[in-house]
Amino acid sequence: MKRKNKKFQKRGSSSLNKLSLFQKNDGKFSRKCPLSIKNAPVLDYKNVNLLKNYISDNGKIISSKITSVSFNKQKKLTREIKRAKILGLL
Amino acid sequence: MAFYENTIVARQDLAEKELKVLKEKYNEIINSSSGKVIKIEEWGLINLAKKIKNYNKAFFIHFKFEGSGTTLREIEKKAKIDRSIIRHLTVKYKKLDTRNEFFNKTKK
Repeated sequence: MKRKNKKFQKRGSSSLNKLSLFQKNDGKFSRKCPLSIKNAPVLDYKNVNLLKNYISDNGKIISSKITSVSFNKQKKLTREIKRAKILGLL
Repeated sequence: MAFYENTIVARQDLAEKELKVLKEKYNEIINSSSGKVIKIEEWGLINLAKKIKNYNKAFFIHFKFEGSGTTLREIEKKAKIDRSIIRHLTVKYKKLDTRNEFFNKTKK
């Protein structure tokens, strides 16, 4: 019994040792959205320190594939970033 | 009636008196055109991310108010003509939170 449990845990922890393609890969790639947890920070164009995490050095908006922000929040994020850019805050 | 936030980016080389005049001017414009100012914030001198009209820094004044379409039209009209204003932005909100101040915390 102990052995079985160990195997099960290992499979869950890393995405590399999958058995089939249709198995969901958890671990690095399916991180939860950091902006839709409980007590998430407020998305606002005045909250510049938060928005700075989601733009590159050249001022481009980083895609949600990399930052793992949900689709709904990514739309709101881009809107707020563009507002901050108008005022010259970013 | 809906809630709005208006931010004004004023020129860097204004004196303190001129800033006060500017602030009161827009306060009056909002109040006189069927609006009601709830809160005014002054963010002070902030470094701009890039040069805008050859200015590296700018004064920011932030209004939170309740108003209608006529108030917005008045503000847009005056802000476009005004030479001491570089940029301005109005945003509509369903609810205004007057507690959070993102820029005063860093100063203190």
